[in-house]
Amino acid sequence: MFQYALRRVLIAVPSLVGVIVIVFFMVRLAPGDPATYLAGEFAPAETIEAIRRRFGLDRPLHEQFGIYVVSLGQGDLGRSTRTQRMVIDDLKQFFPNTLELALGAITIAMLIGIPAGVVAAIKQNTWADLFVTVGALIGVSMPVFWFGLLAILYFSVELGWFPVAGRGSLAHLVLPAVTLGVSSMAIVARMTRSAMLEVLSQDYIRTATAKGLVRNRVVLKHAFRNAMVPIVTIGGLEFGNLMAGAVLTETVFNWPGIGRLLVNSIQARDYPVVQGVVLLIAVSFILINIAVDFIYAVIDPRIRYD
Amino acid sequence: MTEDPTALGGETARPGATGAKGRDARKRWRRQLFRSPVAVVGFSIIGFFLVVVAFAPFIAPYSPTRQTLRSTYVPPGIGVSLRGPEGQLGVWVREVTRSPSAGVVVGEDAYPVRLLVRGERWTWFFGLVSSEWKLFGVDGPVRFYVMGTDEQGRDLLSRLIHGAWISLFIGLIAISIGAGIGVPVGAVSGFYAGTTDLVIQRLIDIMLAFPGILLAIVLVATFGTGLRNVMIAVGIAAIPIYARLVRGSVLSVRNREYVEAARALGLRSLPTLVRHVLPNVMAPIIVQSSLQMAIAILFAAGLGFLGLGAKPPQPEWGLMLARGREYLAVAPHVATFPGLAIVVVVLGFNLVGDALRDALDPRLAR
Repeated sequence: MFQYALRRVLIAVPSLVGVIVIVFFMVRLAPGDPATYLAGEFAPAETIEAIRRRFGLDRPLHEQFGIYVVSLGQGDLGRSTRTQRMVIDDLKQFFPNTLELALGAITIAMLIGIPAGVVAAIKQNTWADLFVTVGALIGVSMPVFWFGLLAILYFSVELGWFPVAGRGSLAHLVLPAVTLGVSSMAIVARMTRSAMLEVLSQDYIRTATAKGLVRNRVVLKHAFRNAMVPIVTIGGLEFGNLMAGAVLTETVFNWPGIGRLLVNSIQARDYPVVQGVVLLIAVSFILINIAVDFIYAVIDPRIRYD
Repeated sequence: MTEDPTALGGETARPGATGAKGRDARKRWRRQLFRSPVAVVGFSIIGFFLVVVAFAPFIAPYSPTRQTLRSTYVPPGIGVSLRGPEGQLGVWVREVTRSPSAGVVVGEDAYPVRLLVRGERWTWFFGLVSSEWKLFGVDGPVRFYVMGTDEQGRDLLSRLIHGAWISLFIGLIAISIGAGIGVPVGAVSGFYAGTTDLVIQRLIDIMLAFPGILLAIVLVATFGTGLRNVMIAVGIAAIPIYARLVRGSVLSVRNREYVEAARALGLRSLPTLVRHVLPNVMAPIIVQSSLQMAIAILFAAGLGFLGLGAKPPQPEWGLMLARGREYLAVAPHVATFPGLAIVVVVLGFNLVGDALRDALDPRLAR
């Protein structure tokens, strides 16, 4: 097990390095000279030169990369060109908000998606099944931002149940979390349904039914536990995707998370912040995937790692 | 040698390519596909969508960019009635204007809507087609707004219809890039295995470390915003998906008898891959392309919504939604209809993808 863990982490190292390289080159490949951009369109040549020196842009590329990696190791992601704040401080401030939103979303997605999928599977080819299947299809086909707008329109503007935007109380969290969770909910429901159908057709289920067990007991104790593996996997992967999906949801609800920070920074060409956010999301995603693999190993004793 | 001996294996290698047996299989497959209501609904949606794209300026009553500042934020259906002044059946339209003091004002005189009327001259297909004829229009000096107007008094229906090609185009370009690069890369990775596979897979891992729409956002942030870059970015984001998929499929067929036979007969590896392996992994590629089309349209709309894609006054659906968001409480229809259009089209491609998967892989059909 320890060896497996080590190997799994080692496999992630190239991805991590690759992500750092890509994030580093993002700024260098962008059209236009960053120094000119920072100094402003009509800045004198000396100013541009000074900025270039200050940010180390006058050095050869490999030196720049070395400096970048070393400062990364020290937790230094540079300063925002817009607010002059340390990028790491921005991330510390906004990341917990995104995490809160993503956790809310995945909780809702699992709480509704799993039971819906189970019901669809045991009532296969009935109206309940059709309802879940069609609902899930619409769920994955819907732009989250549109769903969010409709939710605001109906539940906030029309009914006044929830605040229109912003973060604070639990009521603030409901609409954004549901919005962000909708497509994951649909994916979880579809996955649960097909995993349950797969398991329900197995011999041991027939045996359990044949020996006279109550249907509910068969479904919950024998079938559902065996269908858990793919469901947990998809749930974990979805959680990673939610981090990126939050970009759109946060924009709709003015949620002060890293997604909105990312979009605002792209529009302001605030590259240090863009780099920081992208790096953070990608690294979290890699870590989540590793965690999913571990959970997978723990809940499914059939998988052996050697 | 004039004839390639391995070509004899073609019938086994490509089911349905030649021979009565193949034709039967294909017929059966098609019958199964069109028996499922899912496929019928999906193909109908896509068919309708394609017709709208092809005949956009003919179907759309007005130009997508023409402003009527006297008629801003007109709600859908206002001024339209199904009875004429003397009780005749048909669609009749009254002039709708917005006055600062009295809100929406509906005029007195009603004019009928007729099929095939002359309207503003339009050109389409890069100037190749030009006409004044419209599928339908008002016979009179007023404009009518089936879906209402936006903040500049532009007809929402016309904008939606004119925006359809943008979504289609983004989807097509994106899957062309994704499949065009992802399929060969994945095939080579799975077929040659060893170091090639290892290196390619680590590169794919890096791309997959950016979840969902993030890779597209990163690319757009790097290379600049705009519709063209969005297409490229969404396409690049699809590469790792195709590469993984094709690699897996190739791995599952590379040791089949017919591939071994081709090798044993002395066919070199690249022709073997192209002629005998790739045709047998087409099914998942086709399924993925339909699903990928849906994803590309959603991603592009998302980038448009974030202000990173199309630029005003382009009638791109995501951008229209973003504009509509700003006056959601005043004119909710401006954000509602573009979103609905996206849902329907994306649903169409998802339905077709699901139906194709079920038909091509009977084990999955449940």
